[in-house]
Amino acid sequence: MRSYLAARIAQLVLTFFVILTLVFFLFRLGLPDPTSALITEGLSQEDIQRTRERFGLDLPVWQQYFVFLGNLFTGELGTSFHYRAPVGFIVVDRLLNTLAMMLPAILLAYTLGPALGVQLTWKRGRGIERGGITLGLILRSAPVFWTGMLAIFVFGVGLGILPTSGMRTLPYEASGFFDKILTLDFLRHLILPMLVVAAYYIALPMLIMRNTMLEVIGDDFIEFCRARGFSEARTMYRHAARNALLPVVTQAAVTTGLAVGGQIVVEVVFSWPGLGREMFQAVQTSDYPMAQATFIFMAGMILVLNFLVDLVYGRLDPRVADASVRS
Amino acid sequence: MSTWLRSIWRAIRADGLALTGLGLLLGIITIAAAAPLLAPHDPNEINERVEGVALLYDGASWGEPEIVADQPLNAATLLDDAGGVAVGEAGRIAVLADEEWEDAAPVTDASLVGLDADSSTVIAVGAEGTAVHGQVASAPEEWEVQGLDTDAVLRDVSVAGDEAALAVGDDGTVAAWDATHGWELLDSGVDAHLRGVRLTGPGEGVVVGEQGTVLAYADGALDPVPNVTFRDLLGVDVADDGTVLLVGERGTILRHPPVTETGGELSEGGALGAWEEMRSPESRVYEDVRFLGGADTALALGERGIAVGLEDGVWERVDTGYSRSLLGMGSADGRVLAVGTEPYQNELAAPSADHWFGTTHLGRDIFSQTIWGSRTALLVGGLAALMVTLIGTNIGLIAGYFKGRTGGLLMRFVDVMYALPLEAFALILVLIFRPSLLIVILAIGLVTWRTTARLIRAQVLSLAERPFVKAARVAGASDWRILYVHIMPNVLPLVFLQLAVAMAFAITAEATLSFLGLGPPGVYSWGGILHEARLSGAWRVAWWWIIPPGIMIMITVVAVFFIARALEVLSNPRLATKS
Repeated sequence: MRSYLAARIAQLVLTFFVILTLVFFLFRLGLPDPTSALITEGLSQEDIQRTRERFGLDLPVWQQYFVFLGNLFTGELGTSFHYRAPVGFIVVDRLLNTLAMMLPAILLAYTLGPALGVQLTWKRGRGIERGGITLGLILRSAPVFWTGMLAIFVFGVGLGILPTSGMRTLPYEASGFFDKILTLDFLRHLILPMLVVAAYYIALPMLIMRNTMLEVIGDDFIEFCRARGFSEARTMYRHAARNALLPVVTQAAVTTGLAVGGQIVVEVVFSWPGLGREMFQAVQTSDYPMAQATFIFMAGMILVLNFLVDLVYGRLDPRVADASVRS
Repeated sequence: MSTWLRSIWRAIRADGLALTGLGLLLGIITIAAAAPLLAPHDPNEINERVEGVALLYDGASWGEPEIVADQPLNAATLLDDAGGVAVGEAGRIAVLADEEWEDAAPVTDASLVGLDADSSTVIAVGAEGTAVHGQVASAPEEWEVQGLDTDAVLRDVSVAGDEAALAVGDDGTVAAWDATHGWELLDSGVDAHLRGVRLTGPGEGVVVGEQGTVLAYADGALDPVPNVTFRDLLGVDVADDGTVLLVGERGTILRHPPVTETGGELSEGGALGAWEEMRSPESRVYEDVRFLGGADTALALGERGIAVGLEDGVWERVDTGYSRSLLGMGSADGRVLAVGTEPYQNELAAPSADHWFGTTHLGRDIFSQTIWGSRTALLVGGLAALMVTLIGTNIGLIAGYFKGRTGGLLMRFVDVMYALPLEAFALILVLIFRPSLLIVILAIGLVTWRTTARLIRAQVLSLAERPFVKAARVAGASDWRILYVHIMPNVLPLVFLQLAVAMAFAITAEATLSFLGLGPPGVYSWGGILHEARLSGAWRVAWWWIIPPGIMIMITVVAVFFIARALEVLSNPRLATKS
């Protein structure tokens, strides 16, 4: 187990390193001299010179690459062209905002989804199973930005009962992140985007649960449960579902990783000040340091969560770690 | 290959949902292929809308503009019994009776441009020398079309009692009518387009036209009035006391005092020599002018809804509450009926027979955009899915077969790909390059093959241990031959399944990226339509703008999902026996 962990960590670091390299050369390809954008912003010659020195822009590209890596390790992500402030703090704040929406949505989808999946298996062969699968596929086909627009149209514009943009009603004062989200106002803002994301995510755990359940209920121990006279509900939920949960847990972590960087559209539609929207705006305003930092954060989040999946998976199913170490 | 196609078809046929999906997908493909035929409008065309609008002034205030015909109205007249008539393009005749407008069935296709009524006679004139005669009391359907011996457009007509009328038109055309002889063309002696006429009696009146033409009319003869103005004159009216008002382009308003005061006759051109240019508050085109009762009050109307009223010798702006062109007017007892409109941009129109899905904020046809959008969806979705499957299958095959260093290296590469968020990656590509369909295809194709590669590899890993592979190796087959000839056919069901899944994903991804504005401008896609709707802000009112593209994305993706479900059974037969 320990060697498995070491191998996985080494792999994680290596992958992250490759991503950083990719990001560096992709950005240098697009913008050979990042200070050229600063000149138009009316920065003084001295400031530009200082920026050039900090990022080693007068050095050859391969040396710049090492300056870039060195800066990263000391937490120096650059200064946003747009905010004129260090990128790091802004990105962390936006990441927390994203998690404040995504985690409740994923929690909702991954508790309700598997339960529905069990129900579908229980009622297999009946109309309700067919209907549930069709509905699940339709929910998964509807683009999430579109359902978001519909939700805003119906609940925000039409009925006027829920706020449709931002995290809080402006203007507001909050001394910190938790001060910001531990309010009723935040919850009201959360409802629409959270439900839209949850509706999109719910189909996958439901369908995965159903597929695995179909395999599990053919196993001998289910027959044994029935033979012992357990109720169908107890057999389904306590015994079959437990054994079918593994792929769902995996998917939950993968989804969480992707959700951090993958739902730019939802944040854009609901004007949610998260990581994705920040990146979208950075691209629109050609704010290279910000775009670069948000991208690195997204990739990092995905990597870390995938890593955690493997660890949890290794715990839940020891065969995995065993096999990985041997291969 | 054909056996595989046959077994795919068998799997789809066995599944109702998959059959539905195949039908839907074929429908979308047909729509995409036949887009130029199916789209009723050019998706880029800024559609215009025309309609005839009437405004009533009751002597004190203006009523609401009312749409009374589906074509612009050019001329109007008010009748003594509070009724009114308006005529317009394509022979439109609208009748006002008991405060209700009725769009009567046209008796001619020709555009009607001029209209007047007196006593019981109504005459409308228009394109190709058309004259329509009617009785005030009779329904427009019974009015009679009389062709004049000219192709010129008749612009205005004035009726005096039931016995005489005078019509004027392009190229100096003048025609006189009387109850016994009918229409007769007169020689006006001018070539200019004549635009307005007013009779003060059966044989007496004033005619105006372009380039400052003014003619005095008397008993079949026309006498030019010299040196009035060089501007185009479009409207004329004569008050009961003989005062004459002329209006025209660039805010021209000319007044002539009653000729009787100077001892002359209106019918003598030379007698009209005391024109006074009046101060106009507007500099646009005045289309027509009418006295309201006496010679001291009058109203002139024109382009872009401008209206000016004469009071105490001064013209001042009047607010009619209408902003499009007023082309014609009629007055009686101080009341005014004004009609008009010009084609205007049909923006944010709700669904109608002409625009099934309504129009955008620029007046573009959403139905046509949606039809054209199917091409982008299938093109990008198909190409990206092919690219994903091609890369993913080959990497999966190689990584699964060459398990050692090669396989490990490839799988580390797959791990790197797993860390790339698609939308963010595409945003970066657009930041660095320019938005184009190629960038969208590349972004999807380069990032999402990771799942296919992983799944194919897993299956190849187990296949490589099977006896038939060992047998092939013993028989001396090379690694590549074993991989592509012996192993690959066995993963094909999974490849087809992944192709379907990749296609569904690629179509959604294309829509998502286009929604973020990463698609090229000018190419219609479903996501792009929604992008434009969001950008304009108008989608919060125009539900018809957001619903169709979303439904189309949903139908296409769901169709592919339905098909994928049948293919899943094909690649994993256990699912079929269990469910």
